Amino acid sequence: MRKYVVIYRSVLMENLQYTVNIAMGFISYFFIIFVFINLWDYMYAAPGDLIAGYTKEQMIWYVMITEMIWFGARSTTIRQQVPTDIRGGNIAYLVNKPYWYPLYILAKYTGEWNIQLPMYAVLTTVIGVTMVGAVPNFHPVTLLAAVPCIVLGVTIHGMFKICISMLSFWIEDSNPFQWLYDKLILVVGTIFPVEIFPASLHPILKLTPIYTVCYGPAKLIVDFSVEKYLEILLAQVLYLAIGCGIMCLLYEKGGRKLYVNGG
Amino acid sequence: MLTAVKNQVRVCALSVKYNVMREMLNKVTFLTNILFMMFNNATFIVQWVILLRLRDDVGGYTMREVMLLWALAASSFGLSRILFARVFSLPDLIINGKLDSYLVQPKNVLLSVMTSETNTSAIGDLLYGLLIFCVFCFQVKRLLLFLLFTVTGAILMTAFALLMGSLSFWFVRAEMFGNHMVGSVTSFNTYPDGIFRGTARFLLYNVIPVGMMTYHPVHIMVEFDAAKMLMVFGYLFLLSAAAVFVFYRGLRRYSSSSLMEARM
Repeated sequence: MRKYVVIYRSVLMENLQYTVNIAMGFISYFFIIFVFINLWDYMYAAPGDLIAGYTKEQMIWYVMITEMIWFGARSTTIRQQVPTDIRGGNIAYLVNKPYWYPLYILAKYTGEWNIQLPMYAVLTTVIGVTMVGAVPNFHPVTLLAAVPCIVLGVTIHGMFKICISMLSFWIEDSNPFQWLYDKLILVVGTIFPVEIFPASLHPILKLTPIYTVCYGPAKLIVDFSVEKYLEILLAQVLYLAIGCGIMCLLYEKGGRKLYVNGG
Repeated sequence: MLTAVKNQVRVCALSVKYNVMREMLNKVTFLTNILFMMFNNATFIVQWVILLRLRDDVGGYTMREVMLLWALAASSFGLSRILFARVFSLPDLIINGKLDSYLVQPKNVLLSVMTSETNTSAIGDLLYGLLIFCVFCFQVKRLLLFLLFTVTGAILMTAFALLMGSLSFWFVRAEMFGNHMVGSVTSFNTYPDGIFRGTARFLLYNVIPVGMMTYHPVHIMVEFDAAKMLMVFGYLFLLSAAAVFVFYRGLRRYSSSSLMEARM
């Protein structure tokens, strides 16, 4: 385990050198949040209106938190390095190293988001407080409960993205599958809370990564309840186990398809 | 003069043709990229179905106008990235000194750079735009306007990307800033202008070219307005001229990295 900690620490230190570059990403985040603030401003005709049980402030905070997770968990390692390693044959060298490749990638990914996410969290708080106002009925203790959920959510997200990237063992370009997963998370997960969909779809949505990656952490911050907390935590643990299983399976099966052409 | 223009156009067309042929070497990947991009865009229909269930209109747009907005945004974005994809990675060429191979060619430098890459998935964007236009808002007269505004939108998108990309000739981090600004066009032009007010609205019509790329064209397609049409063309001319001017001014500052590169 120590070797993964060393990998994690080195990526963390490397990313600390590029905080200005990360901060440049705030521009895109701000534009997107600005669009959603305007959109929900329009959708809520009168102050105090409720949509799917959310006030305007709760709805905007929900979108800001899910977008924060989305932006904070962006990683070139899982999106570009894995497919490039597989396609380019570099993986032939990496599988011989004294580490397990998927965990090596996961350690690098963790080092990346550990810098990005807190930076986006600060920005979210600043934008939220200045442009929307405080989260209604928010208690700081909620944040303590939500942090493990955010960590688990981001890890599950990374795990699924690695799984999709590993499809490059079979198909040359895994990007189209990344787009679909991204859109599932973005369109269904970050923009709307699950409650906004027809009740008949709720059980299905709870089975998708949306529930554990975006909805869970954001819901706990804007509208905390102990039952919901336990339910989300349980779902995340299950998802983590399933994600781990799929990742192992894909890596083992994919590794067998590896051809070493020399050179 | 006319022969020179004709030759240049021919070279550009050949360049795009060979880009596409290169992408088609792996047919499965080529088709997957196109189809999945269309499917990817279609997921946003879910978003609008939900929003329009909550209210009859969003910013004055019903489903028909929203789809028209999406069709135009997707097709102009697609056309821009099919013909001029390299503009979107221009900072990489500038920063890493990769412009040398274009500078020595006996043809227009800017056009050679612009047409040297094609984005396969952009074909999916263009087809998706045309498809949803035909499904949701088809009229013969509107189709002609739609095709015209697809071209103007693509030129505006390219000109804005060129302007932002050319900043890399002067500033170190302009690459990231430019990318985010170009990305902001996509963030804004798929949402109705009616939800923006005040300064934001002013910026969208004057600084970020979203207003002239999609908002005015959609208004014109819904209800023809010659004054708005003139504004679109005037803005198109000004932005394109500014982008070309900035690129060539910046090119004077370009320094090679002595990178050996061959263009096939």
